[in-house]
Amino acid sequence: MKPAAFDYNKPADLAAALHALSGDAKPIAGGQSLTPMLNLRLARPAALVDIRRQADLLKISEAPDAIRYGAALPHAAFEDGAVPDGTNGMMRHVAGGIAYRAVRNRGTIGGSIAHADPAADWISALLALDARVIVQGAKGETAWPLDRFMLGGFTTVLEAGDLITGVSVPRLSPSARWAYYKICRKTGEFAKAIGAVVSDPDRGVFRIVCGAIEVTPILLEARSVEAALAEIDSRLADHAPAARQLYKTAMRRALEGLGETSA
Amino acid sequence: MTAHPIELTVNGRRVSGMAEPRTHLAEFLRGPLGLTGTHLGCEQGVCGACTVLIDGKPQRSCLTFAVSCNGDEIRTVEGFDDDPVMTELREAFSAHHALQCGYCTPGMLVTARDIVTRLGDVDEETIRRELSGNICRCTGYVGIVGAIRQVAAGKTAVAQNWNFEARHDAVAAKTVEAAPAAEAAKPASMDFSTAGDGFSVLKQQVTVPAPADQVWAVLGDIRRMAACLPGASVDTVEGDRVTGSLTISFGPIKASFAGEGEVARDESARTGTVKGRGRDAKGGSSATGEIAYAVLPQGEGTIIDVTVRYKLTGPLAQFGRSALVTDFARRMTDLFAANLTAMLTGTPGAEPARSELSFLTVASMMLGALRDRLKALIGR
Repeated sequence: MKPAAFDYNKPADLAAALHALSGDAKPIAGGQSLTPMLNLRLARPAALVDIRRQADLLKISEAPDAIRYGAALPHAAFEDGAVPDGTNGMMRHVAGGIAYRAVRNRGTIGGSIAHADPAADWISALLALDARVIVQGAKGETAWPLDRFMLGGFTTVLEAGDLITGVSVPRLSPSARWAYYKICRKTGEFAKAIGAVVSDPDRGVFRIVCGAIEVTPILLEARSVEAALAEIDSRLADHAPAARQLYKTAMRRALEGLGETSA
Repeated sequence: MTAHPIELTVNGRRVSGMAEPRTHLAEFLRGPLGLTGTHLGCEQGVCGACTVLIDGKPQRSCLTFAVSCNGDEIRTVEGFDDDPVMTELREAFSAHHALQCGYCTPGMLVTARDIVTRLGDVDEETIRRELSGNICRCTGYVGIVGAIRQVAAGKTAVAQNWNFEARHDAVAAKTVEAAPAAEAAKPASMDFSTAGDGFSVLKQQVTVPAPADQVWAVLGDIRRMAACLPGASVDTVEGDRVTGSLTISFGPIKASFAGEGEVARDESARTGTVKGRGRDAKGGSSATGEIAYAVLPQGEGTIIDVTVRYKLTGPLAQFGRSALVTDFARRMTDLFAANLTAMLTGTPGAEPARSELSFLTVASMMLGALRDRLKALIGR
């Protein structure tokens, strides 16, 4: 299996990368989602722009209320605690459950978000954390909430010439708790259902996300287990009953697990 | 598409050569370098047979382009002759019958060494979880897990070497928050089914705030109708025959179907059909479909009942159902309705549809496609 031919370039800096992305070119960092599609010839871009080693995309900047991570940071760096964490361990936990170690060593947080697979871990987890996707484009820099950045499965607000440069994640209070439960048929496989919860009473935050639902993950309005399950039934009424059962199971287990999460 | 010069360190030896951008690291190792110990299985990142160390960390050489490894240090299964942990693993694999055909073994060994060095004295459950990205079809894993457990016993975990710059900012970086979402229009209703004859059927209803007469007129003009479908273009119109193309984009996937069709209209019933067939020359997929519509007045506005039947052959044929499909089709329908509304009412607020988006017909096929076809793929 070999992809359709494409041009390759590795720009010297971010400005050159943004310029190179204006045509029929795809950015590639870890390439752990894009390369399978290239191999299967489902994707045939004219050119790849390699941004894996862009220094600007590997930076972390810590502000008092949020941490901003460069888009090209690999999942394994989060898993290993090699980057600062303001989420009481939630991001570390989520990163460690993404695909397989060999994939986590190369795949990046920005790439996962750009790919916008509804079953991906970061999409749901970062929506629960109320993070912002930082997009650099012709119009400057814009911060998008996850559920507006995604327009649907595999579809985002990104246009030619746009690049995700980072993700900004609010710091949780020390007392905040979180839960993340996903159902996979095999370890490392795409999730069939994700329940993600962040409870931070000191900041007045309680966010429940139902994810891996084939479309953009949804933020629930419910504040209890029963209400959350009922809301899933009503808002996702057009999904298959078996799928809905998985969503509800993941959600119940996440909410029940919230009490057990250590800060 | 020209080849690029690359320089790598492979198993401690500096090597250089030319590589086409699309050449995977695995191919470069196996071909020009003759290092055939690295095996290719699925070439989608799932099976793990091609796992090698890149800058000390196990990675898939089938999901890595050789050009992007320029300057990196690669270590393949051939490069561990003098490695003490790998020596122990080789002996343990032999003692535990941890291989039969041996195809997965190079990837298993590289992964096993990573488990032992990174995690130290690990239990069986952890080993099994860590091994989930390496598939063996012979052994049932018992021998492999046993061998790794034996070598891991008593080992100490070695911290991973990452080096990222963390900087403290007194104030958060200045970034413009995205404007709040516009009031969402009432989403089109959507119903999806499979006809059993290989065709899939999507039924939906579009509401347009313009008189039925105007809507009926636009739908009768194929050029104006196409202008409302992002990605659609009309080349020729002769009587009821039309030629043109439909370009759709779904994530990184793009397909451009060129073809021909016929339009038919029943003025008295205010119903019409557009039948068409097209082929994506690059991808080799073909699509056949029919759009049937009925225009019904509703107060001051109009309801369009749309039924789309479509069938795909070729590489994209495996794609095509699920919530993902209806979600995509619903989005496309909403865009079509918005464009039609803008055309008829001159509403400046209606945002022009992004050019790479496209109409539901051919589009809808790709959607479920991804979920089904790529569900085995790793990327997140």
